[in-house]
Amino acid sequence: MADEKDRVTTRPEVDERGRSKVQDVDRSLYDFVKSEEGYERYADGLTPDIVRSISAKKDEPDWMLKMRLEALERFHDIDMAPNWGPDTSGLNMDDISTYVSPKTKQARDWNDVPADIKDTFERLGIPQAERDSLAGVGAQYDSEIVYHNMREEVAKQGVVYTTIEDAIHDPQWEPVVRKYFGTLIPMTDHKFAALHYAVWSGGSFVYVPEGVSLDYPLQSYFRLNASGAGQFEHTLIVVEPGANLHFIEGCSAPKYYEANLHAGAVELFVGDGARLRYSTIENWSKNMYNLNTKRARVGADATMEWVSGSFGSHVSYLYPTTILQGDRSVCEYTGITFSGANQDLDTGCKVILNGRDTRASMSAKSISKDGGVNTFRSSVVVGRHADNARCTVSCQSLMLDDISRSDTIPAMDVRNRTASVGHEATIGRISDDTILYLMSRGCSEEEARTMVVNGFANPVSKELPLEYAVEMNNLIKLEMEGAIG
Amino acid sequence: MASTSTGLEGTTGAMTLTHVNVPPAQTWNYLKIDQIALSVPVPASAGTVPTRLPRLFSRIGAGVGAEAVSWVEAATGDSRYVEVPRGTVREDPIVLSCDADAGEVRDSGVMVRGGATATIVVVSHGSGDSDGDAPLSPTPVATSANLVRVYAEKGATVHLVEVVAMGDERQHLEGIGLAAEDGARVDARQYLLGGGRVAVGFEADLAGDAATLNLDSRYIVRHHEVLDVNHAVLQRGERTRCDIQTSGVLADAGQKTMRETIDLRHGGHGSKGNERETVLVTGDDIVNRTLPVILCDEDDVAGNHGASIGSVSPEQMTYLADRGLSDGEAEALFARALFDDAVIHAPEQQSLAAVLDRAATVVGDDMAHDLASGLGIEPASADDPKEE
Repeated sequence: MADEKDRVTTRPEVDERGRSKVQDVDRSLYDFVKSEEGYERYADGLTPDIVRSISAKKDEPDWMLKMRLEALERFHDIDMAPNWGPDTSGLNMDDISTYVSPKTKQARDWNDVPADIKDTFERLGIPQAERDSLAGVGAQYDSEIVYHNMREEVAKQGVVYTTIEDAIHDPQWEPVVRKYFGTLIPMTDHKFAALHYAVWSGGSFVYVPEGVSLDYPLQSYFRLNASGAGQFEHTLIVVEPGANLHFIEGCSAPKYYEANLHAGAVELFVGDGARLRYSTIENWSKNMYNLNTKRARVGADATMEWVSGSFGSHVSYLYPTTILQGDRSVCEYTGITFSGANQDLDTGCKVILNGRDTRASMSAKSISKDGGVNTFRSSVVVGRHADNARCTVSCQSLMLDDISRSDTIPAMDVRNRTASVGHEATIGRISDDTILYLMSRGCSEEEARTMVVNGFANPVSKELPLEYAVEMNNLIKLEMEGAIG
Repeated sequence: MASTSTGLEGTTGAMTLTHVNVPPAQTWNYLKIDQIALSVPVPASAGTVPTRLPRLFSRIGAGVGAEAVSWVEAATGDSRYVEVPRGTVREDPIVLSCDADAGEVRDSGVMVRGGATATIVVVSHGSGDSDGDAPLSPTPVATSANLVRVYAEKGATVHLVEVVAMGDERQHLEGIGLAAEDGARVDARQYLLGGGRVAVGFEADLAGDAATLNLDSRYIVRHHEVLDVNHAVLQRGERTRCDIQTSGVLADAGQKTMRETIDLRHGGHGSKGNERETVLVTGDDIVNRTLPVILCDEDDVAGNHGASIGSVSPEQMTYLADRGLSDGEAEALFARALFDDAVIHAPEQQSLAAVLDRAATVVGDDMAHDLASGLGIEPASADDPKEE
């Protein structure tokens, strides 16, 4: 009888169509808040004075202040596209503070990081990851980097991993930052690119010298603790010819009812014959507007790899873009997006094939449940001189219930007769036969569905370092708890 | 009923239709893939009272958008309305033609009653070919339009053949709208064989359970022609089926935009939508835009789409060269295959004549004659049609 009772109580709630109801997700790992007491917080809203204050705070050169002020004007000039994309009307810049900072200096030792911040990153497993498997770590808390460190042997190879602010103040690297900063993502790109350049703060500058190959990844982790605030970090990575880097970024925030904003920018310059893998596990809280911009320019014989897992945010606009400028350059994109209740995630990728014999391969997966909205949006543009360019795009979408939504909107613009472009997409649900098969082998329905979803996500998780793959699988497990769709 | 006026005579000036062929879901505007703008004559506003379609047809979208439909309705003379009685099988095709050379603007509605079967032929034809070397004039010599909306009642069967065949000095707007009730079935073949600037909308609302649409669309775009297509299928009923197969040849400096949308709506349990486009590129200065979209807010459905864009591989060219075919001849074979298919499926004289006239221009008189004689027929002129 006890067994019978247990079976009854653990059986998921079932809807009228025989599907079990998806339960809310336990996000306690990420949903913890630290006090902002003693923090420096600029007034909500967006004014030239606030922009000047941020610039003054960082003691920036004139060229950067001019750029910020011009960007602010562009922000006010540019409208959001009225005909596509998730609704951003819940985001009011008058209610967002663009600069919030703990009163601490950047540390190179975790022991020098304030206790509450250190506790945050320890709970997220960052110091442990650094010890185990990373060549260097940067940790940003709200608007500023609070910790930055790199292994000595990596530094000896000439690798630079620091904040943009420090690079700007270093006579050796200021010209490099000035040469590249804002060139790949112009401030006119879209409204929130302009906003980014007006109020950017934090982020990383990475320089990998010619021929240097890093055996371990570098990682930046971004935590937005403050309520009603924005995070606007800028990541600038220059991988010189023949060099090799794996860069990982992670993002999370506690949940508030007030809207938060993330409008970062990532500019990646991959030299001839170089290789860069950029991996992201994004788990922003579900009050976050994630309007991030990422772009890479790839030289001849070079390779750009994107691995992306998107689990959080209320609204996302996220399309890593690769410009295959050099002949024989290669791009691979592997991404998964998991959209649940109150989430409208518009994600995908863009690739522009300009060089000859270029190759691009993009594989995207999405899972929708609990009324979540997933949109896969992509563009493939093949230029007139891209002889023998090859590109394939594959998109698979899984619907776990009938109140969710999944759209696939790929665009292709091909202007070279020798190019070959293919696109495949499927949308469907987990077949009853598959579940029945697994249940006949002893799995519960919940286990069977989680197993199928994990298998569905496996091509993405296998591209991640082990500990991040585990984190991603844990996130899927969290999302799938009780989720017998 | 025959029309008494084609609408555009006596027009004054030009106006721009800015939102033609807008797909249900749009994307980055800088890609310029979300719509096409057409400069068209301002409809004459003489104080006449032309015959209009029953109000029912205003609810049927035709893919070209409300702005274009309003223009057609304003520019056309009398609308044509045809009804196929319940449970009947109509042997003679319903021919809905449009003379592009005369700048005709036509608006037609066909009601296929429950259980009836009908063949509808939509033919938009014209001459007006330049030497093909110069880009299109921004002010086309003639603008024509053919708008056809079809209501298929429960269990009706519709065979639809659409031919657009005209020279590159013509601008043409064409919209096909379908509404399908329970168990209605529409098999459509679309042949887009030429025109300077051609905008084609095709919208189907599979509202009834087990409604089915099969659309086979073929096109050739050459010289400096611009072809802009918007296929949109709304699957609302349960167990609906949609299969769209599109293939075409893009030559010279031709520009093509193909939007294909399958919209699987909530409640459409057991529905399946499939779309596939294959593009053969033979021109050095082509522009090929494709937007294959699946929208889905129902889990108990399956949606698939695929697109394949490429040229004839060097290996295939070598194989053909070994058999004595030059590159040009080999590529002409692909164009001929398209016209072959159009000739075989043209169900009556007028569509056949339009295809053969166009074939003579595109693949040459000899090949057009081969096409005709292969069927044991003598080509007739499209200028001498028999019409509904």
